[in-house]
Amino acid sequence: MERAKISAYQLLVLIFLFEIGTAILVPLAIEAKQDAWLAVLIGLVGGCCLFWIYHSLYSYYPDIPLTEYMQRILGSVLGKVLAFFYVLYFMYITARVLRDFGEMLIIAFYPETPLFAMNVLMVLVVVYTIRKGIEVIARTGELLFIIMMLIGISTIVLIIISGIIETSNLEPLLEKGLKPVIKTVFTQTLFFPFGEVIVFAMILPYLNQASKAMKAGLLGLGLSGLVIALIMAMNISVLGVNLISRSHFPFLSTIQTIEFAGFLQRLDIIFMLSTVIAGFFKISLYFYASLIGTANLFNIKNSAQLAYPLGLILLILSITIASNFSEHVYEGLQIVPLYVHLPFQVIIPGLLLIIAFFKNRKEQRKRNS
Amino acid sequence: MFSFLKWKKKKKNSDNQQEKSPIQSTDKLSNNIETSLTLNLEVIKQRTGNSTDFVIRPVNLGQHPKVKTTIVYIKGLVDNQTVNDFLIEAMITNPTLQEQITQQEVVDMIVKDVVAVGGIKKLSDWDELFTELMSGNTIIFIEGISVALSVSTQGGERRSIQESTTNVSIRGSKEAFTESIGTNIAMVRRIINTPDLWIESMKIGKMTKTDVSIMYINGIARNEIIEEVRKRLKKIDIDGVLESGFIEQLIEDQTNTTFPTIHHTDRPDGVAGNLLEGRIAIFVNGTPFVLIVPALFIDFFQSPEDYYERFDISSAIRLLRTIIFFISLIGPAVYIAATTFQQEMIPTKLAIIIANQRESVPFPAFIEALIMEITFEILREAGIRMPKAIGSTISIVGALVIGQAAIQAGIVSPVMVIVVSMTAIASFATPSYAVAISARLVRFIFMFSAATFGFYGMILVFIILVVHLSSLRSFGVPYMTPLAPFIREEAEDTIVRRPLWGYKKRPKMISGRNKVKQGENQKPNPPQPRTMTNSANEKGD
Repeated sequence: MERAKISAYQLLVLIFLFEIGTAILVPLAIEAKQDAWLAVLIGLVGGCCLFWIYHSLYSYYPDIPLTEYMQRILGSVLGKVLAFFYVLYFMYITARVLRDFGEMLIIAFYPETPLFAMNVLMVLVVVYTIRKGIEVIARTGELLFIIMMLIGISTIVLIIISGIIETSNLEPLLEKGLKPVIKTVFTQTLFFPFGEVIVFAMILPYLNQASKAMKAGLLGLGLSGLVIALIMAMNISVLGVNLISRSHFPFLSTIQTIEFAGFLQRLDIIFMLSTVIAGFFKISLYFYASLIGTANLFNIKNSAQLAYPLGLILLILSITIASNFSEHVYEGLQIVPLYVHLPFQVIIPGLLLIIAFFKNRKEQRKRNS
Repeated sequence: MFSFLKWKKKKKNSDNQQEKSPIQSTDKLSNNIETSLTLNLEVIKQRTGNSTDFVIRPVNLGQHPKVKTTIVYIKGLVDNQTVNDFLIEAMITNPTLQEQITQQEVVDMIVKDVVAVGGIKKLSDWDELFTELMSGNTIIFIEGISVALSVSTQGGERRSIQESTTNVSIRGSKEAFTESIGTNIAMVRRIINTPDLWIESMKIGKMTKTDVSIMYINGIARNEIIEEVRKRLKKIDIDGVLESGFIEQLIEDQTNTTFPTIHHTDRPDGVAGNLLEGRIAIFVNGTPFVLIVPALFIDFFQSPEDYYERFDISSAIRLLRTIIFFISLIGPAVYIAATTFQQEMIPTKLAIIIANQRESVPFPAFIEALIMEITFEILREAGIRMPKAIGSTISIVGALVIGQAAIQAGIVSPVMVIVVSMTAIASFATPSYAVAISARLVRFIFMFSAATFGFYGMILVFIILVVHLSSLRSFGVPYMTPLAPFIREEAEDTIVRRPLWGYKKRPKMISGRNKVKQGENQKPNPPQPRTMTNSANEKGD
């Protein structure tokens, strides 16, 4: 582990930027139709529960990351195998997010450019950033957070004053009861984007005040959840459910409908700016988690050395994980949440917590007697 | 080659004998001043190679033929009036010397009764003596005594205090620093009248022996930073320091960046303001530019004048400067990206106009922008270096080349000219020249990225820029403080400025134990409504 410290505010900002990363890009929770925003909010509650699990594990082992304390909990061999799987998991999701952004850029802006070129650039930027360490990532987050906030507020103001919001699109509320909403929560929004906060189980040990971890984490999650829900509600009210379910990138379509005073139109650049910044953080943090996971697992002192080789792997992975965009989306919606996210985000951490609980109680009893 | 090596060996040997200067190689002389006057003068002549600006003048003390003295000084470095009136004349006409005295008592007598000048110092070794002599002091040798006296007579012709030409101000002190370190330090002392204003001096440069002083306010500056500055200055081992830029480049935290991590100014009020925030000033003799550490990114967008105007006006100006900085950074890049990749961003009518104009231009937008930018950079560089007399010629030629002929020849489009001139003006409007040059370099990176990947490339370069800026430190303080790490109270003094009465604390990351800047309740209030107006009314009635 590098010797670095981040503050509670920086953690909050990183969680925020990380969560909204891909969530504002895709038609999130659209199976719940016009109640997508509700599905997001319920997912947020579930995400907070998951964060409680990760935080409890963190409070047992405040100085070491996830991949290291699972070795303490499960023993060296089993723990190492599991830690290796976690590194693979982080790597795979990094590649997925990278692919998402590459595809988005190609479909929306650069139809002639090969995916490889788009991803190479992003990987170079991410590798450059990662080599500077977590403190620099956190400070970058603080600066870009301000810019994201400015963009967000101005976008919302522009959407409102251009008069394209149709609140009737959000009605009727709970048309088919609560069931489809709950189903969406447990097949999608719980894991993506909120369960992905498991990445911060790798980063929490860098926090300078352990007591503030819970507050900062929940605030960051809550803020991002509200923003995502707001954006989804805005998308639905502007575009309507039908249009969204056929659109790859509903937020882009929403922004494209902005027209104000005859000259403020086609603000695609705002969409590109906000998604690339948020996506950059998502990729960077996932990549950073896999980087320190690898360094930890193989006892590599200077984890920055790993940035280039892992970056190369990431690049190749992002190209080869799916042969085309529809395959990529299908995997992302049907396979990944249930078979990848569920075990890695919920089941394993839950089991770890239970074992850690009993282990620590035993040790405490020993100490007391 | 061989002779060189031999020489080196010799030098090593002489180093072992703890002596560096060539005087030691002539073995009959030690480092101590001799008793014999003629021998001493011989040493001076020998070591200075009989340089003609050395004045060696024998003086008979109080017309007393027994006490032979000689004064030595360097023409031009001393104040002639002081030397003539208070030194030579005082020594010649001194009446108290008529009685018989021993030669040992002469020294004390000269110090106490004869010389009518403030600073006087006894010297016994040559190195010290030459340092004094070179800095403009006058040396008195006395026959038969192995002690020389150094009288402070520094003076000579110097540029007087003038208005700053690089940091022009509308409101505020007009005086700027000069080349003399003593004058500069005194100018700051006149502003901050506290004994806590501490100064430490040293000489840097093996040949130039330049005076370098660090100045800080004890208690307000942070001790670790002072210690760090001392350490870095002591480490410098260079033959000459010609300008504070030499020091700056040798004590920076990071060298692989285009952004300045040390601030410099030539205005005493700017230095005073920074000292009050806990920063440390480094004065270098021979230059009006004083270094200030630690410097944060945001400091380069501020001028001392911001605090003299009211906060609303200053805030508006600072916001404008932020916009200006962004224009100077990405102006041409946006044009390239918009015309090459994202044409849909431009409103339709404007897009048609631009397309019309660009129809006859044979180059892609990037080449077009590059031609104009480089032309402009050439003109600017020429404008700085050329003699003033031909300035108007260049500006006419420049205006014609940039403005008219290039468009008529169909090399560039009129919109491009507007973009480039906007950018050029914007880059002049940044308060700090140091950061304006950085923006100039980064602008070309942005242009290149815009030409290859449009706005996506620009956003990625922007992210790299932010990451790079966040990774910098100035004397241990993160460069983007107080924006990252975010410090709420201080962030209000960045791209806007809060009212003066809101500054309760000094910057957290920079200042030392004395943190309180001003008392509570500094906000001005109107007088209690009834009392004052009523009494005035009553008087009126």
